[in-house]
Amino acid sequence: MADTLHIEITTPEKLVLSRDADYAEIPGKDGYMGILPGHAALLSELGEGKLTLTTGGKTESFTVAGGYVEVRDNHVSVLADSVE
Amino acid sequence: MPSLIDIRRRVRSVKNTQQITKAMKMVSAAKLRRAQDRAIAARPYATMLRRILANVAEAAANDPDAGAHPLLAVRPEQRILMVVVTADSGLAGAFNSNLIKLAHRFADEHRNAELSFQLIGKKGVNYFRRRFTNIAGTHTDLFRRIKYEDAERIAEEIIARFSAGDVDAVYLFTNEFKNVMAPVLSSTRVLPIELPKSAETVDYIYEQNPGELLGSLLPRYVKLLIYRAFLESVAAEHAARMTAMEAATNNANDVIDKLTLLMNRVRQASITREIIEIVSGAAALD
Repeated sequence: MADTLHIEITTPEKLVLSRDADYAEIPGKDGYMGILPGHAALLSELGEGKLTLTTGGKTESFTVAGGYVEVRDNHVSVLADSVE
Repeated sequence: MPSLIDIRRRVRSVKNTQQITKAMKMVSAAKLRRAQDRAIAARPYATMLRRILANVAEAAANDPDAGAHPLLAVRPEQRILMVVVTADSGLAGAFNSNLIKLAHRFADEHRNAELSFQLIGKKGVNYFRRRFTNIAGTHTDLFRRIKYEDAERIAEEIIARFSAGDVDAVYLFTNEFKNVMAPVLSSTRVLPIELPKSAETVDYIYEQNPGELLGSLLPRYVKLLIYRAFLESVAAEHAARMTAMEAATNNANDVIDKLTLLMNRVRQASITREIIEIVSGAAALD
């Protein structure tokens, strides 16, 4: 089992971010979800809110709104309508 | 026989035109590169959305509660909406005319259906406005800077008309960018949606039930199709213009060569004539 997550955040226009992280907190439509490496395959609609990535103790956050999130084999793909 | 001065004047005019075509070719090349970059940048989202949709559609099909989504409803095609994406400007070879021809042929073949048009790009607007009455909407000047919101807005209009039952099918006519040499014409049915097939089925945990997810995925998919069509069309337009202007520049060269040859011949002829006059004049004195 890999010990990091690979995060990809895309909007219809471009790939916003593609990098590794230890932990991701994602605003699902029905509430926040914490994703750690080894998470089972998951598919959810994305809500509006703050998406936070933690890498080696440092955090970075983005405001996302609307879209989907897919978790699979330690790959987290976020398809957002808008990212800031 | 044209006079020397006339020919010189024509050579100069052709040279001026050539300079313009050369500049246009260069501009198109730069714009093409930018358009291509944008098309490539949009690819990851498209790939992922298609994959998710394929999986969700499969899951929803196995879910008896999901039911049929209105955007998937196949009805007899009695009222057809044609979405025609052309460019805003010409001078791009057969780019606009080929697409218009394709769309017009489709319209002829579906004479029995009630057709309406959603036109994007000035060229298509000008053509179809004169020939057909049922224009549902026109959009011009979107291509200078393509925005996803524009595609979204147009897609929403289309979706609204389809779900309200105003139209039974929506077809999209567009130029696709395959290579720099020539655009590839494409006509595809956008609605009712043909679901993409998934290469592999993943057993996801669904946070929302698949039927609900499908309901929000399908409109997004339509928006994506429209947005992608715009990106492709713009890239193809610049490629077509570049090729056309390259051909025009080469053609101008040929014309200049021909005119130069003619000019030299005319000059030679007049010199010969003068010599004959002098010689015969001298001979007459003897």
